[in-house]
Amino acid sequence: MASALTPAALTLDNVGYAYLGRTVLDRIDLTLAPGEVVALVGPSGCGKSTLAHIAAGVLEPRHGHLERSYRRHGMVFQEARLMPWATTRENIAYPLRLAGVSRRDRAARAEAAAARVALDIRDLDKYPAELSGGMMQRAAIARALVAEPDFVYFDEPFTALDVALKRRMQNLVIEASRALHFGALFITHDLSEAVRVAHRIAVMDLHGRGIVGDRLLPGMPGDRDEATVYTLAAALAKDPAFRHIHDVDERRLP
Amino acid sequence: MRLTARLGARLGHVGAFVWSGWAGISGLALFAAVWQAGHEVYGNFILSAPAATVGAAATILTEADNLALIWDTVRRAAQGFVLAAAVGIVGGLGAGYSAATMRLVRPILTVLLGVPPIAWIVLAMIWFGGSDGTVITTVVVAATPLIFVSVAEGVMTRDRKLDDMATAFGAGPLARLTTLGLRHVLAFLFPALTVALGSAMKVAVMAELLANTGGIGGALAMARANLDVTMALAWVLVAVGGLIVLEYLLVHPVRAEFERWRNASRPWGVKR
Repeated sequence: MASALTPAALTLDNVGYAYLGRTVLDRIDLTLAPGEVVALVGPSGCGKSTLAHIAAGVLEPRHGHLERSYRRHGMVFQEARLMPWATTRENIAYPLRLAGVSRRDRAARAEAAAARVALDIRDLDKYPAELSGGMMQRAAIARALVAEPDFVYFDEPFTALDVALKRRMQNLVIEASRALHFGALFITHDLSEAVRVAHRIAVMDLHGRGIVGDRLLPGMPGDRDEATVYTLAAALAKDPAFRHIHDVDERRLP
Repeated sequence: MRLTARLGARLGHVGAFVWSGWAGISGLALFAAVWQAGHEVYGNFILSAPAATVGAAATILTEADNLALIWDTVRRAAQGFVLAAAVGIVGGLGAGYSAATMRLVRPILTVLLGVPPIAWIVLAMIWFGGSDGTVITTVVVAATPLIFVSVAEGVMTRDRKLDDMATAFGAGPLARLTTLGLRHVLAFLFPALTVALGSAMKVAVMAELLANTGGIGGALAMARANLDVTMALAWVLVAVGGLIVLEYLLVHPVRAEFERWRNASRPWGVKR
C-alpha cells in the first residue's frame, strides 16, 4: 500500500490487556499504512473487539503502547449504539456536536453523511425506535463518517444483519473508503467479509496471544467479484494460520 | 415546508394534550358527585357542598390578604423545593458516578427516611422558631431523599455502551455527562420532581399549621378553631388546585417535550 517512508496510520506495539487479573490480550503488534483497510479475524472471544476498543481509545492498554498518526477516527460498533432520545439526524451529527460544530453546519453535514449511506432524508427526523436494524446500522456508519475521519474502526458491524443486507453494507463501506480515502481496522470473524472489504487480513491467536500472521490480498476491495472472494476465502480457510478461527472457547466469551 | 410541518406537529402535540384533559375533567366530576352525595347524607356541618366550597374558595382568591397567605406558602414550598432539587440532583449525580459514595450515603438515607416528618418539624421549630426557616427545612428534609435516590438510580442505569461510543468519538468525562448522562437521568428525575413538588406543598402546609407561621396552614388552623368546615375545605381546594395548575401547565408539558421519543416507539393506537 504505502512506501516504507510514510509513517504508519496506526501502530500497536506489544499491546496487552487484562481484565480482572485475567490476561485477555498479550504481545499484539500491528501496523496499518495510511489508507489501508486491514481486516482482523479470529475466533469469537479471542479479544478482537477489546483490541479495537483499545486502539480507538475506549480502553487503556495494560502494557505496550500505541501510536495514532491519523487525524481523526470514527467507529462503528456491533450494535448501532444510537441515543434513543435523539432523532436520527441528531445521532448522526453527534461527533460534530462533540467537536463543537455549529448547529446549522451539523444538520447539513449530517444530511450529507446520511446521503452517503443511502438513508432517506425523511428518516432523519425519526427516532431510532422507528428504524429497522439495517437503517440503524446505516445511521451508525453515517455517524462514523460524518466528521470526515481518515481512519475508521469497524467492530463486527454487520454480524446481526441478514446476508443480503450485509452485502449491501459491505459495498457501502468499500465505496465510502474509496471516496473518502480512509484507512480502517475491520474486526470480523467472517472470512469472506474480510476478503471482500480489506487490503490485508491479519489473524489473531485463539487466546489473544499475538497476531499469528497476515496475508496481503490480491487486487483492490470492490474489484474482486463473487467468484474471487469465494476462492480466496476457501484458500485462506485451508491456510494453517487461519485454521483455528472457527474454534470457539465459550468460557472466554464476555 | 419543513417549518410548517414542524409547526403542524407541534400544534398536534398541544391539541392531543388539551384533548386528554377531558378524561381528567370527567374524573374530577365523578369525585364531585361522590362528594355531593356525602354532603346530602351527612349535612352541612360535617361536609359542606362542593358548590359552596368552590364558592368559598373563589371568595378566598378575591381577597388580597388571603392571596398574601397563599403566596407565603407557595414561596416557602418553592424555596424548599428548589433547595431540595439542587441538593438531590448534585448529590445523586455524585453518588451515581461513585459507588463508594453511594455505599456511604445509603445508610444515612435510611436513617433520614426513618425519622417521621413531624419530628423534623419539632426540631426545626426549636432551631428556627416561627420563621420561614422551619417550613423550608421541613420541606427540604422531606423532598431531598426521593430526588437524590432517583437521580442516583438514573446515573447507575445509564447505558455504558453509549458512554463507550462517545469515548470512541473523543468525548471526555464532562461531555459524556452533559450529552448522555444528564439526558438519561431526566427520565428518572421528572417523576421524582413531580412527587417532590406535591410533597413540598403538602409538607409546607403541615409545617405552617403546626409551627403557626401563617400561610395556608395558618388559615387552616383558623378554620379549625372556628369549626368552619366550608372554609377548611375551601383552603384545601385552593392548595390542591394550585398544585394541579402547576403540574399540568408546567411539569407535564416540559416532561412531554423530553419524552417525545418514548411516544414515537409506541404503536399509534396506544398513545396516552
